[in-house]
Amino acid sequence: MQLDFSARELTIKLVYYGPALSGKTTNLQSLHKAADPSAAGRLMTLETRDDRTLFFDLLPLTFKDRSGLSVRLKVFTVPGQVIHASTRRLVVQGADGVAFIADSQIAETQNNADSFMDLKENLKANGLNLKQMPLIIQFNKRDLLDVRSDAEIAELAAQGREPVYLAVATRGDGVVESFVGMLHLTWSALNAEHDLNKKFGFDSDAFIKRVATQLGDDRPVQEILGQCVGGALDVLTPEAAG
Amino acid sequence: MTSAAETGLGFDELTVGKGASIEELVDRSALGELTVSFFELFRVPIRVFSESGQILADASEQPPLYAYLNTTKGGRRALQKVVDDVKRVDPGNDGEVIQPCVTGALYQVVAIRYDERPLGRIIIGPFMPPDALEPRPEMLLLDDAIEAERARELLLEMPRARSETVLQIARHLRKSLDLILFSGHKALLTSSMHLASVRESFRELQDKNAKLQGAYDRLKELDRLKSNFLATVSHELRTPLTSIIGYSEMLSEGIAGPLSPEQTEFVSTIHEKGEQLLELIKGLLDLSKLESGTMSLRKSDLDLTPVIQDVAATLAPTARKKKVKIQVEAQGVLPTVWADAERLRQVFLNLTENAIKFTPENGTVTLSVEPSLLERQADAEEGGLVLFSTRRAAIEVRVSDTGVGIPENERARVFDAFYQVDSSSTREHGGTGLGLSIVRRLVDSHDGTVHIEGNEPHGAVFVVRLPCRRTTIV
Repeated sequence: MQLDFSARELTIKLVYYGPALSGKTTNLQSLHKAADPSAAGRLMTLETRDDRTLFFDLLPLTFKDRSGLSVRLKVFTVPGQVIHASTRRLVVQGADGVAFIADSQIAETQNNADSFMDLKENLKANGLNLKQMPLIIQFNKRDLLDVRSDAEIAELAAQGREPVYLAVATRGDGVVESFVGMLHLTWSALNAEHDLNKKFGFDSDAFIKRVATQLGDDRPVQEILGQCVGGALDVLTPEAAG
Repeated sequence: MTSAAETGLGFDELTVGKGASIEELVDRSALGELTVSFFELFRVPIRVFSESGQILADASEQPPLYAYLNTTKGGRRALQKVVDDVKRVDPGNDGEVIQPCVTGALYQVVAIRYDERPLGRIIIGPFMPPDALEPRPEMLLLDDAIEAERARELLLEMPRARSETVLQIARHLRKSLDLILFSGHKALLTSSMHLASVRESFRELQDKNAKLQGAYDRLKELDRLKSNFLATVSHELRTPLTSIIGYSEMLSEGIAGPLSPEQTEFVSTIHEKGEQLLELIKGLLDLSKLESGTMSLRKSDLDLTPVIQDVAATLAPTARKKKVKIQVEAQGVLPTVWADAERLRQVFLNLTENAIKFTPENGTVTLSVEPSLLERQADAEEGGLVLFSTRRAAIEVRVSDTGVGIPENERARVFDAFYQVDSSSTREHGGTGLGLSIVRRLVDSHDGTVHIEGNEPHGAVFVVRLPCRRTTIV
């Protein structure tokens, strides 16, 4: 997070992480499509010729609060391919929140796990602790055959810490919900640490509501957040995370 | 890890930080070309300023009216103020504002923003609305020297456009510029990311290299300890073995009283095996000394021919017993080598003994000494060949036999310790498997080379080349 008091400007870094071809860029594209043009900048993709992310994608979103505080969300994806390890480490540095995009296909289970370990390592290399990182997990590609069942995911998600969302990013299903979930966790964590609401006369709930609306979702925030199939949406304080 | 943070600085600044300035994102001369093409199309003056007020592109000609006003003191002062105002005026939330001039002309100001941040402004003007045909009284009052008639004439030559049209032009230019800024930002990010990734990979490799170097150093130390251990153990084994050999020899000679034939045979076996063991230990000791670099050599100017003749003479009885002919071929007086006579004798004794051992009855073992060259050839492709290559005068000793020979693919390996081409031959011919590896190390320590060639029609030739001492140019 970067805070510019004089410009009343707050910049938050959100990162989409996950194994190769799990749909991180597709999530960003769906988000970009859903977003009101007044809020979203151009989606920048640095990709190779075969549409694989080379360095990262970057979607800038800007929201102005009634308090006058301008919140700039910089949403990144990392390149999923194993060989881009150093790039992932660079992109994830300074992240305020992470959405882990898992591939629902049973055959990808190991790759998901490997990528999660990779995330943990790369956060550690940047002096960040996974346990304290606002993090949601999205199971993407729910429309494919041979995917892990809803029941299995729900049962396991209920035992886990991270909120879990189901998605079909190509259709935009679950994309905004996952994003709002991540933003909610991230904002709550930043607010707990920096007391932003008080400092700026900021209204978190109204802010999340506004973001959701500008992303084309008019439902009450609690209903959107309620789409997660397990995990906790409460923020862990650093002490509780140990 | 601090290094990751350091390498990513540029990338961080470009994405979540302050962001790049317009100068960093666009090429100035290309921006100049773009504004000139707009000017040529619409004939209204266009300038582009950075946020700090630096002019980045200027496609304008001073209208004759302005040139005229600038010749007067009052006019010049008033126009300067207008220019300052235009550069400073707040373009408001929508980033578009019109600034009027004392002449009645207008300036259209459009803010350039990128990623919600102001980067600079486009200024179009001065231009006259189409219906402004008369000079304004305020303008005429700027200075006494301004003539109304002249001003009216020049006013008619002013570039004319409707404000709506100019706003459209400005918006269009801003849009084009936005695209250029986006592309520039993307290119800048790509290159900074590329650089950061390369640095990060390099750092990773350095870490790994350091770890490998550590492991290598530890292995080297272990190897040294192994050699030391070998030297110590060999020495400790030799002492009691000397007693075994000595006493068994005395027993077999009957010094402690007469022995029965059976007892004599047993004691002789003890003595013989003891000697074999001693040879093995001596070999191990030599090898470990050579490996650890503690073998001291007493080098002197040495003529090799007498050494070879002596070796042949020493082994003549062995050869005779095996019905193998041994001969020496030497050519006159040869240059000397700088070598340890005793160690070289050991080398040639070993090679010749081997040759006799593997040569069948009625075969021949030939020892020859001749002048030769010792070449070290560097790869010309790599450059600096003259620096890396050497050609030194050398003496070549060839030990040829007419035995079974050594297959080509085995030739390099026979110099490894304990290696035997055919392990069954050990039982047939004896030997420890250490001889040749000692030979190679001894030759190495004389800066020489040893290799194996085939002998026609059958057999092997061990070729030893030792550099002559003084002659380096042939």
